[in-house]
Amino acid sequence: MIVLVMILALILGLFYGMSGAELPPLNAIIENKDIVLYVLMFSVGISIGMQKGIFSKIKEYHVKIFIIPIGVIIGSILGGFICSLILKMPIGYGTAIASGLGWYSLAGVTLSELATAEIGSIAFMSNLMREMFSFMIIPFLAIHFNHYTCIAPAGATSEDTTLPIILKYTNEETVVLSVFNGVICSFMVPILISFFINIM
Amino acid sequence: MDVLIVMCFGILAGRFLVPNRAKKENEFISLACTFLLILSMGATLGKDQNFMSNLSSLGLSSLLFFFIPTVLSILIVYVLTKKFMEKRDNSQEK
Repeated sequence: MIVLVMILALILGLFYGMSGAELPPLNAIIENKDIVLYVLMFSVGISIGMQKGIFSKIKEYHVKIFIIPIGVIIGSILGGFICSLILKMPIGYGTAIASGLGWYSLAGVTLSELATAEIGSIAFMSNLMREMFSFMIIPFLAIHFNHYTCIAPAGATSEDTTLPIILKYTNEETVVLSVFNGVICSFMVPILISFFINIM
Repeated sequence: MDVLIVMCFGILAGRFLVPNRAKKENEFISLACTFLLILSMGATLGKDQNFMSNLSSLGLSSLLFFFIPTVLSILIVYVLTKKFMEKRDNSQEK
């Protein structure tokens, strides 16, 4: 449902831009999108801060709890690196796009601000495809790989949108790891994007 | 960098100030901001005369940027968890 609403927002925006219409409230939002991004980041921070159980689980798993987010991040960045070589794109852009880790909205808007609208659009579409693909592949991974691997395609979305499907096909322990992975990946997305854009 | 500082303030607010009952309202704010930002991104793209002509090449690039990083994430997480985390389960059983 959320995915559909976001696709609708993109389509509405595209039509508005192409129509040449001038609606003052919409233009005000477009001109002040930095402020909207700050509000979004503050709200995301609140969501992370509210996950109080996370801190006690970290002690139980010790450092091994970081294995999944590290694997997700390394795999994604390596993938972005390979894509940038294939497409002959600057490596900083390619790795920044893959650093979205499935968080299509943030990666799309951040990269359209920090890089270009085209890079932002690729980041949006590729990370959106990653989230939609996760819904389809998680049941397969649960049967043919292991429960932990179900978290990998979900990336940063493993704490929210893809969590219900992970819960359905795995167990409570994997769900806790999934939330932890989502928190770590969500925290890392803006850091990784800023880092790779700045090494350009 | 400003984005990270704002997020850290948000984490502190979520940990110490915002009550748990405000979770739904917070989710709505996130959703509304995301909607507005994507709408704004779409409008910027729509105003760009070259965007529609580039759409086919962007679509293929997006497919590649989705497929390779996702598959590599799956394979690396599988290998790492098979080696380190499944051992943890076995040692617990013993």
